[in-house]
Amino acid sequence: MLLGLGKILIFPGFLFLTVYSLLFEYLDRKVYARLQNRMGPPWYQPLADFLKLIGKEVIIPAEANKTMFQVLPVISLSAVAAAFIYVPVLGKEAIASFEGDLIVVLYFLTIPTMCLFLAGWYSRGVYATVGSVRTLTQLFAYEVPLFMALLAPALIAKTWSVTGMTAFFAEHPLYILINIPALFVALVAAQGKLERVPFDTPEAETEIVAGPLVEYSGRLLAIFRITIDCELVMIASLVSAIFLPFMTGNIALDFVLYLVKTVAVLLFLALMRSVMARLRIEQMVNFCWKYLAPIAILQIVINLLVRGWLGL
Amino acid sequence: MTEYNRVVIPIGPQHPSLKEPACFTVTLEGEKIVDAVIGIGYNHRGIEKACESRYYTQIIYLLERVCGICSHTHTTAFCQGVEELAGVEIPRRAAFIRVLVAEIERLHSHLLWLGVAAHEIGFDTMFMYTWRDREAVLDILAELGGNRVNYSINTIGGVRRDIDDSLKQDILKMVDALEEQVKYYRELARSETTLAARLAGVGKLSREDALKYGAVGPVIRASGVDFDIRKVDPYAVYGEIPFKVVTDTHADVFGRTVVRVLEMLESIEIIRYCLENMPDGEITAKAPRRIPAGEVISRTEAPRGEDIHYIRSNGTEIPDRVRVRAPSEANWHAMKQMLLGQYLADVPITIAAIDPCFSCTDRAIAVNSGRETELMDWPRLRQYSVDWYKKRGIDVSSVKMPERRSYF
Amino acid sequence: MQNEEAIIQQLVEKFSLLKDKLHVPRAKRIVSDFLTREEFEQVLPYVREEMGFYRASHVLGTDEGEDLGFIYLLTNDEGIIFALKEKAPKSNPKISSLSGEYPSLEFHERELVSLFGAEVEGLPKGPPYPLPDGWPEGNYPMRKEWNQEYFDPHTMTYNPPAETQKKEAEKSD
Repeated sequence: MLLGLGKILIFPGFLFLTVYSLLFEYLDRKVYARLQNRMGPPWYQPLADFLKLIGKEVIIPAEANKTMFQVLPVISLSAVAAAFIYVPVLGKEAIASFEGDLIVVLYFLTIPTMCLFLAGWYSRGVYATVGSVRTLTQLFAYEVPLFMALLAPALIAKTWSVTGMTAFFAEHPLYILINIPALFVALVAAQGKLERVPFDTPEAETEIVAGPLVEYSGRLLAIFRITIDCELVMIASLVSAIFLPFMTGNIALDFVLYLVKTVAVLLFLALMRSVMARLRIEQMVNFCWKYLAPIAILQIVINLLVRGWLGL
Repeated sequence: MTEYNRVVIPIGPQHPSLKEPACFTVTLEGEKIVDAVIGIGYNHRGIEKACESRYYTQIIYLLERVCGICSHTHTTAFCQGVEELAGVEIPRRAAFIRVLVAEIERLHSHLLWLGVAAHEIGFDTMFMYTWRDREAVLDILAELGGNRVNYSINTIGGVRRDIDDSLKQDILKMVDALEEQVKYYRELARSETTLAARLAGVGKLSREDALKYGAVGPVIRASGVDFDIRKVDPYAVYGEIPFKVVTDTHADVFGRTVVRVLEMLESIEIIRYCLENMPDGEITAKAPRRIPAGEVISRTEAPRGEDIHYIRSNGTEIPDRVRVRAPSEANWHAMKQMLLGQYLADVPITIAAIDPCFSCTDRAIAVNSGRETELMDWPRLRQYSVDWYKKRGIDVSSVKMPERRSYF
Repeated sequence: MQNEEAIIQQLVEKFSLLKDKLHVPRAKRIVSDFLTREEFEQVLPYVREEMGFYRASHVLGTDEGEDLGFIYLLTNDEGIIFALKEKAPKSNPKISSLSGEYPSLEFHERELVSLFGAEVEGLPKGPPYPLPDGWPEGNYPMRKEWNQEYFDPHTMTYNPPAETQKKEAEKSD
């Protein structure tokens, strides 16, 4: 019991998640800066930003719904933290797992986006409203391809649990090759989920200042910021658990491998962020439905065929 | 849709996409713009009134501060107007230096614009790259005039600084490196799909509308009108320099980008021509203190378009009336036309695409108290700042500064 | 200067009132003397429609002592600037708005209203430009008699010496 609680709260649970997410933000910013021929921040910058925000005054707009305004950041952070429990970090086993936890993880991951939408909606500002409408529009665009891309491997692994999938693909690493299109779809859709360039329309700074978060300040903003960082870690971990489950069996070595894989995913996302311009919302929706969704469907069909053909 | 579905969004007076204050009130239906009201005038500080109580030489420095970016073009327009009134012929070398500086300024202004435009569409990497390249141009300008933006080259009757051999070599080196970069941006504009997706078809302004609303500079040239003061009404030595006026038929923001990028390549050629063909000789001619009575309309091609100065003299040392029609002022009128029917997401880039200069439009003024002037080169300026801080108890002399930075 | 002279000749033939009132100070420039409102409105449509000066670069105001001057800078396709001048007495500074024919003049006409106190008839309603909010009425800073020394930007009031003295005199009483 105590050990379980320790795992959830400290390692590889919540504390690890937050620390790693700050490190991730640093890496992301540093790589982005180096690609742009800039120096980039020192390693402690994300932590310093976080602490500074915590110390700042919280201003709640007079017209905003006070309860919702304060509760939403906490809900979104806890949703991400809860999702992290089901993703294997140390070895093949996640802290907890059951058949079907993939679906739970995906739904947990939708909660922060919904919270962002509600946060903008309850702030009552014009920029925030436009931003939250965009957040929701974008959600409908990337969510379906993302879900399908993550479910496709599950068809081959014949399990709906993240731990189970990791175990299956660790035993049969070659099957991963079939899932490469799905990996691509998942990475691109993840960029949309994380609202990063080219899909950062909801918070496009030059158009609507900061989108849904425009009215947020102080520690509420700090919680939202750390949520977004945690989401980044979470997505990277999920993608590497499902698509890159190469294992050695040695726990320490596997943990190092986990770090390498997640950082690789991060590097890809950072590269994508630095070489593209921001798309308009309707271009983003078109792109998701025209290209990502068909590829994901194709992947599902292929996986079904492969499954029947190999008699899995 | 009914009125009910409309959202009114104020963009400005303070907004991250605006570098200077202005207020655009756009009415949206969904994401589409159905109405736009342009509110400018936040930067008016009465520069023209100030001109009516100052000597001609003082006005040069005042007009230089109309705009931080195209400071040279305003003084050129003013000086050549006054020279025309006084009947002063400037030395050929001075005319060459004026053109040279004007083209270097155009490079720096267009690079700045390219960066701002990239930032408006969320392409920050390009923003960082172009601004890095712009630093090299600014360094040359600093070396030439002692300052990064207000380099005070012009004076009535010629120019104030000469170009020596080492500076000439530096400029050539800079333009060589820059040419590579600009060619790379040209390729980027043609091949990068997200860039084209965000720029093509945005902020359409037909040829007819461009003429009707009196657009100037890259805006009108991107609508297919071959109008460039350097060709239409050549001043300084533009009449003898071979260059072509860049036009484009896209008539949208993409076209304006292409025009500016290609213009930079033309500017580089002009700079090379000037350096090769610059005659030796004096750089200033004697100009009278009292300017004969009369009026003159002087115009130059600023990086943003046609710049018109109207100067009227009453025979004293102080002009009777000075009016500056900065290029941005002409481009505002077409703005509403460009905004209607666009998406909200395209507002920043559409506004940015005319390369607006709000200070130019409203004509700012910033006057320093009369201190004794003194020429300082970079090392001396740096020494001055080190001493200044030392007096206040901060020692920064240990901070190393590279002699000449290399950006490429 | 062929072209500029040809334009002048054609105009003088058409309008005898323009005789000796048009000058070519240099290539690409035509400058007129000040015309009255009636004369100006008679000439302008012809200049615009027949002579090809369908673009307006600018309109600027000047202070002519008893009168206000308005200088319209019109451009044709060859890039010739035609400075057509109009005059109106300060006591009744009325001119017609040209923002219908030349949309590019709208902001400049607003400027004439704010800075010179011109009455531009037919100018569409819109925010004043470019003076700040709360600018006192009846203060036209670009007129020569307006002196910035007497303007207090903090209270937004204009106190010319005569009035200041009167106020001080009142105080001492």
